[in-house]
Parts: sequence; structure tokens; C-alpha cells
Amino acid sequence: MLEVSNISVTYGQHHALSDAALHVERGEIIVILGANGAGKSSLLKAIAGLLPSPAKIVKLAGRDLSRLPPHEIVESGLALVPEGRGVFGELTVAENLLLGANPKRARAVEAAQRAKVMTLFPRLGERLAQTVRTMSGGEQQMVAIGRALMSNPDILLLDEPSLGLSPLLVRELFAALRKVRETGVGLLLVEQNARESLAIADRGYLIENGKITGSGIAAALQSDDAVRRAYLGGLASEAI
Amino acid sequence: MTNAVLTGLVLGGMYALIAMGLTLQYGVARIMNLSYGEFLIGAAFASYWLFTGWALNPLAGLAFVIPVSFGISYLLYRVLLTPLVRRARTRDALEVDSILATFGMMFIVQGIMLTMFGGAYFSYSFLAVPVTVVGEVLALNRLIAFGLAVVVGLALYLTLTRTRIGTSIRAVAVDPIAAQLVAIDVTRTSALAFALGGALVASAGVLISMFLTFSATSGVVFTMKALIVVVMGGVGNLLGCLVAGLALGLSEALVATFIDPGLTLAVNFALFLGVLLVKPAGIFGRAQR
Ligand SMILES: Nc1ncnc2c1ncn2[C@@H]1O[C@H](COP(=O)(O)OP(=O)(O)OP(=O)(O)O)[C@@H](O)[C@H]1O
Ligand SMILES: [Mg+2]
Repeated sequence: MLEVSNISVTYGQHHALSDAALHVERGEIIVILGANGAGKSSLLKAIAGLLPSPAKIVKLAGRDLSRLPPHEIVESGLALVPEGRGVFGELTVAENLLLGANPKRARAVEAAQRAKVMTLFPRLGERLAQTVRTMSGGEQQMVAIGRALMSNPDILLLDEPSLGLSPLLVRELFAALRKVRETGVGLLLVEQNARESLAIADRGYLIENGKITGSGIAAALQSDDAVRRAYLGGLASEAI
Repeated sequence: MTNAVLTGLVLGGMYALIAMGLTLQYGVARIMNLSYGEFLIGAAFASYWLFTGWALNPLAGLAFVIPVSFGISYLLYRVLLTPLVRRARTRDALEVDSILATFGMMFIVQGIMLTMFGGAYFSYSFLAVPVTVVGEVLALNRLIAFGLAVVVGLALYLTLTRTRIGTSIRAVAVDPIAAQLVAIDVTRTSALAFALGGALVASAGVLISMFLTFSATSGVVFTMKALIVVVMGGVGNLLGCLVAGLALGLSEALVATFIDPGLTLAVNFALFLGVLLVKPAGIFGRAQR
């Protein structure tokens, strides 16, 4: 469904990411694991067109999105929930969701999408008139994901959606993401929360110092010694 | 007293209308337009020309002036200002660039009007018939100008809050990066907001020309008043424009009636400084996070 390659990002002299490549299929959950500063956010931003990456190749369902500006990438079915959420704090929940349905591809299915978002996050339905800035962190995260879903995406990119949420909310969020996957949307997830995210993921990629250093199905990564040491806090043998 | 209040309300309504256009250009498109008042005077001259040369009623003239000024402002943004937008790394850099560019534009527009009309003051007599409002006599043209300013302001408010395109315009003002993530073409939307601001100031120019005298060089006064109202009300805030605009108009009229007409500019700045001392971000402004 989504195929990207040749993603490189530089900030001045600093190479944050070199030649990253990955793919996400319909209805898959893919997790990207990596330490702070490894280049995970840079990767998602480059795919979404927010950062320049001159040689990048991005294909969604066979269509070439490599040279498109960010707003046309959303039109083509790729939505990003950025690090720090990117919601419109001064606007209400209803207005944020309305804006989410801005792409032409979303207009025809707007009512149905809205109903889906309301079942996924019932709290949003109760708070439609609230200014987003006054909501709790977890609620704002729901607005951010709800807004992205309103665009009727084929692929949803999420940058650390569980950041700052209580363990209970994280579980609710991941259950919601699993439901999103069931509707055929492919999810590309950047997470610090390796244990929970590997539990719902199909496959994963490892990023170190701006390079993709490994990948595999989630179950294999969960039992991989190097992964356990780096992200799960201990070896398989020690865990017992 | 009542007369001063009525005069002040009419004037304040005009200031609010002018400020709404500037707050759109500045708050959304991030262009600090120093030639703003020149466009008001340009519209006033257009109205004068249509009325005296073609016997066209200024209210009918609006139907001509508004779309033309919208088009001119749109082209101006696309042709002259978009290159600045593209090269600016931050919104602050764009602000500085736009101040320099529009400062130059101010002299160009003013120069064109000076060569066409000279430096004299102009006015025309349209509906200068007295009407009685709450026991006071007021010229009908002022009353109509005020009524139309209310209609235009209300229409703008409803467009910005009740429609998808209006909500998109506000989204760009709040966060232009996040706006891209909801498929908003930020450059196009900024051009639209800039053009909308141009149409608003032109409509204000037509309305004001019905009851005030103007000359090719009076634009700068309106730019300054619009700036004062926008900053006083809180950048990007329509309600702030309304409240600050009315406050400015009323204080001017009251001071001119009861103290001295020469003090209106002084009271402008006293009010301006007073508000900013108490609320640095303006009456309805929120301090930057
Ligand atoms: N705007 C910027 N200017 C300069 N360097 C940057 C900028 N943004 C990111 N970097 C650098 O690029 C590298 C990758 O950053 P990135 O945000 O992609 O990391 P990350 O994997 O998302 O980290 P985290 O888990 O902390 O969010 C880091 O070394 C960071 O310091
Ligand atoms: Mg990050």
C-alpha cells in the first residue's frame, strides 16, 4: 500500500536520517522503535512532506507522492498525527473535526467518518463545543487522532501517540488503534512504549542514529535479545 | 451629548470595519500592510469618480468596488508578496520583509493618486439629508454607512465562524504548519484572507467617502488608526476590532465635542497606551505561549 525509500533528512550539517526505506500494507500496524534523537520524527515528517528530502520516493497504492506538498499528500490519503499533536488549540473540538474532513476525498464520507470517530472516542461527542486548548492531554490526543481519521486516510502516521498518557489511557488508545486497523487503514506508529506497541503491531523497524538497522515481525522482535536489551529492559532469560 | 455619542458610534463602526480587514491581512497572511490606508483612499476616489463622472450611486458602486479591490489584492499577494512568503524562513522574517515592501507600495499608490487627482481635498454630496435619531439630527449618509458597516462586519463574522472556508482561514491564523496537515493550501488561503482584507478596506473607503472629505495623502491616518485598533483589540480578534474600534470612535467624538477637536490624536494614543499597559496583548489577545 505505502512504499517509501531514499528518505534522507539533514539539519544544516547534521544528518538526522539517511536512506531510510519501509512499507506498510492495508490493515497493518507497523511500529518504529528507536532511542531519543534516532530520527523517528524526522522520518514521519519527511514522508508527510513537512521536511525536505529531495531524493525521497513515496508511493501510495501505486501513486507517486514524492514531489507533492503536504496538503496534497493528505488529499492523497496519507494523514499524520505529529509529535506534540498539532491540534488547533484555539478552536473547538467540532471545528477541529470539521477541518479534518477538509480533503475532497473525505467530504463524501464525512458523516460516516464522524460516526466512526464518535464510537472510537465517545468523549469527543460530549465535548464538541469545548476549546481544545482547555482539554486534558489525553483528550487532546483523541482530538488529534480523530481529526486525522476524519480525512478518510488509507495510511495513518502517528508520532508517539501514547506520550504523557496514563497506563489505562494507553491501553484504551491502543485498543482504539486496533479498531482503526480493522477498518482497513494501515498504521505506521512511532513509539517509546515498546512493550505495548509490539503487542498490537504486525511488524516493526528499528532505527539507530538515523539508519534503519533492523526489521521483522513483531513476535520475533519481542523475543530478540538486542531488542529486549535496548527497548524492553532486559534479556529473555533474565525476564523469567 | 447624544449627538457626540452618535457621531462617535458611526466613526467607531468605520474604524472597526477597517481594522477587521487589517487583522485578516496581518493575523492570517502575516503581511503587515503599511499601504493599507492607501487602498481605502483609492476606493474613496473610485466612488467619487463613479458618482460625479457616471452618476452612479455609491451604494451601487460598492458592487463594483468590492470585487475589483478583491481581485487587485489577490493579484498583489500572488505576484508581489508570494516571493517574499517563499523566501521567508519564519513568520517574523516575513513580517519585516512585508513592512519594507508595503512601505514602498504606499508611496507608489499615493504617487499614482497624486498625479491623477492632485493634493486637494475631495468630497461629494450624497444623501446629505438630515434625519432625526433619538431626538438628534444626523445626516442620512452617516446612518446608512453605519448600517452597512454592521452588515459587512456581521457577514464576515458568520463566514469565519460558520463555514468550512472561514474555519480554514482561522486555522491558518492559529497554526499554519498544522493547517497543512488538514489539507489546507496555506498560500492560497493566505491570498484569500489578504484579498478579503482588501475588499473590506475598500468597502470602508466607499462608505467613508459618503460623509468625510479625503485627499490623496490621507491614507496614512487610516493605516495608523487601523493598526491602533488591531493591536488594542488583540491581533486576529474580530470582537477586539469591534470593541476597540467603537472605543476609539467614541473617545474621539467626545473629546472633540467637549474639550478640543485638536486633541483627538492625543486621545487615540492615550487610550492605546492605557490599554496596552493593562493588557499587553490587547483587550482580547492572549499572551504568546
Ligand atoms: N529543527 C532541527 N534542527 C536541528 N536539528 C534537529 C532538528 N530537529 C531534529 N534535529 C536533530 O535530528 C535528530 C533526529 O531528530 P528526531 O526528532 O527525528 O528524533 P526522534 O527519533 O523523533 O527523537 P525523540 O524520540 O526524542 O522524539 C536529533 O539528533 C535532533 O537533535
Ligand atoms: Mg520524535
